[in-house]
Amino acid sequence: MSSTEAIVLAKLPRSRRRHPVAVWLSLALLGLVAFLVLFGNLIAPDATAQSILDSLLPPGSPGHLLGTDELGRDVLDLTIAGAASALVGPVCVALGSMLLGILLGTVAGYLRGPIDFIIGRWTDLLFSLPLLLAAIVVAGVFGAGYWMTVLLLILLFSPSDIRIVRAGVMEQAARPFVEAAQMLSLSKARIMFTQVLPNVWSLVITNSMLNVAFALVAFSSLSFLGVGVAPGTADWGRQLTDGRAIMIDNPAAVLVPALLIIGVASAANLVGDWLGQNLTRTGRS
Amino acid sequence: MTETRMTNVPASGAGLGSGSSIGSGTGPGIDSTAQVAVTGLTIDGPAGVVVAPFDFSIAPGETLALIGESGSGKTLSAKAIAGLLPAGFSARGSIALSSATIELPSTDAVWRATRGRRISLLLQDPFTSLSPVHRCGTQIGMTIDAASATRLSREERTARITQSLAEVNLPAEVARAYPHELSGGMRQRVAIAAALATDPELLIADEPTTALDASNQGEILDLLRGLQEKRGMAALLISHDLGMVRGRAEHVLVMRHGEIVERGVTSSVLNAPSHPYTRALIEADPSLTDRSAGVVRTASGVGVTPAAANADSATGDLVVATDITKSFGDKTVLHGVSVTVGRGETVGIVGESGSGKTTIARCIAGLEHETSGVIEFDGVALATGRASRTPKQMQIVFQDPYSSLNPMISVGRSLKLALRVAGRPASDLNGLLQLVELPTDFASKRPAELSGGQRQRVAIARALAVQPQLLICDESVSALDVSVQKQILDLLSKLRVELGLSILFISHDLAVVRQLADRVYVLRHGEVVESGPCHDVLNAPTHPYTQALVAASIHEAPTH
Repeated sequence: MSSTEAIVLAKLPRSRRRHPVAVWLSLALLGLVAFLVLFGNLIAPDATAQSILDSLLPPGSPGHLLGTDELGRDVLDLTIAGAASALVGPVCVALGSMLLGILLGTVAGYLRGPIDFIIGRWTDLLFSLPLLLAAIVVAGVFGAGYWMTVLLLILLFSPSDIRIVRAGVMEQAARPFVEAAQMLSLSKARIMFTQVLPNVWSLVITNSMLNVAFALVAFSSLSFLGVGVAPGTADWGRQLTDGRAIMIDNPAAVLVPALLIIGVASAANLVGDWLGQNLTRTGRS
Repeated sequence: MTETRMTNVPASGAGLGSGSSIGSGTGPGIDSTAQVAVTGLTIDGPAGVVVAPFDFSIAPGETLALIGESGSGKTLSAKAIAGLLPAGFSARGSIALSSATIELPSTDAVWRATRGRRISLLLQDPFTSLSPVHRCGTQIGMTIDAASATRLSREERTARITQSLAEVNLPAEVARAYPHELSGGMRQRVAIAAALATDPELLIADEPTTALDASNQGEILDLLRGLQEKRGMAALLISHDLGMVRGRAEHVLVMRHGEIVERGVTSSVLNAPSHPYTRALIEADPSLTDRSAGVVRTASGVGVTPAAANADSATGDLVVATDITKSFGDKTVLHGVSVTVGRGETVGIVGESGSGKTTIARCIAGLEHETSGVIEFDGVALATGRASRTPKQMQIVFQDPYSSLNPMISVGRSLKLALRVAGRPASDLNGLLQLVELPTDFASKRPAELSGGQRQRVAIARALAVQPQLLICDESVSALDVSVQKQILDLLSKLRVELGLSILFISHDLAVVRQLADRVYVLRHGEVVESGPCHDVLNAPTHPYTQALVAASIHEAPTH
């Protein structure tokens, strides 16, 4: 096969269509979790209420569909209430790091020069910090807490957003339509945010959906290690830690939150991928 | 398989009978001595037949040209013969080579054994068809390896690579170079060496020189021609350029909307076209019709030159660029270039790529910072860069219509933005679209919905929205088909008269500059080698380089 042909083959559009059913299922799951975040309080008002008498009931017990844990908390109620911390944190992390990414990435990619250098070294620094270690140190110094974790993850997730936006902006900034905007003497800020940025949106949104998935896993890991949410809070990662010891008595206490973490993370991934493909189709591929 | 073939042949006969005029003696019919005979080639797309059945054959050492506008199906036909149709398309018919016959649709295994060995494909763009991360020698070597039955020793392969390079007149050192270190013409030579390294029976060349300069185009085509005769190889040349085909192909097929509308011996088709579409193509081709600048002016309905028409209202020069130099790092691309553009005048800057013609335009526009020199606009010296220039002074229309419009912003929004910058009301939008002869409902469209010519009209409208005094056209028609090119050139010559525009027109295409420019500068290696009235410079060039450029321009007027 000649090299010229190999290039042609590589250029052909690969039919990499996501199965629409998987996307619909993912959207349904994300919708359900979002619903639980909004109305979980009404469905399971006393999720964290403890009852020694009812401890360690197996799944299917009367009044406790998924049984109870060691402290007598209803696993179903706990899982419903845990949706809030499972989704709100990761979404905040994704939005926060997206905002940082857009601001710093666009400025670095469009203006280049010393500003680009400084932002580049800043992302290098953040990239070199190991997530779990940093979280444990921060928890030790400032005390563990949900919103502290959110802030930390925004900071640690932002370098990849910054680099992705920067790369996209650099690619677009060399296009003649940007020079056409310069010929109209538009301000740099205006060119960056009204002409260049719209062409990078698909990248940004796809990456943010992936960030939601990664952040959910990161939150759960931190809760599992005990540096995330405070003990006693309804949280899927926390449920994994607490449920480990009672896996034989009530397997649902571990399996249900574990499956939900996997499910929501995968769903966010799939939807992100699907959004990315459909958004790029409107622009020039 | 045989049955499929049987049913195809009558169908192809019908297709031919309906849409073509075959001179049975002269036309490229099926004959037994042919190197390549393609029968009943039909291409089906997602929405039905896109290329109607047609036959052709090519004798050893001969070239068949397949001509048509973009979208006519000529490239799809080439891809079908190379087994590289995009997903959603399939081909029927058969391809008879002297060593094997391929029945379409065929399997991947058959194509792997054929493609690159018996049939090679040479692509349009030498800038993307070579892998940027492999040395040129390695890329030629890959083809040689793929085609040889036995494993070659290191020395043997090196010798074969050197030989392949020598055939395309490149020194052996090129084997160690990466594609980015070579010029466009050299890259296309490397691509030819890679395509021919396996000694194919048929070479398909898909617009092999469209991306190259005029002087390179001729050389590459003549090189191909020589190699082909030496090897007795058949070639299928795909092109939209009729001028290029003259003298370089024995036979020609003219394709339109997926059907062959005319076929025959090249000279007779070009000199006496029988189908109206072929006639239109020939008329649209600037190189095939003798339209000097003066004739165009008369054709546009104005008896005087625009420069003369505007001479009374204002005098003096609009742009005076004096002694401009520009260096990128330690590479100097402009060595003291001086250019003036008078009011209402159209000035052409001609040169090969790398001559600095685009750089001087960008310096004048402020998109590039000149290293030294003075640029005066309307008698006032401008500081370097965009900050010292206003939108109303000048606007640019860029080369590539596909990237010069923001893909995420509708046509209407782009134009309204430009109108707002000029302080004009958004209601001027419709008038602006009419000015460039576009329907007003285009305002709601995204660039992706438009053709190349339509996009270029939008780009012109955007530039004119701010009512600039100077319009800079940087290769603005180079990426367009000849017939669209003509429309855009006609539009520009209409606008410069109506609006009294000064135009700085950058092009490598002498035929295009000849149509539009009053005066012309010839640039070479960052220096002006010749300048003067367009007609004088291009018809009686005094500098050897201009003479070479004019001679090398493969666009020659018909001989009759």
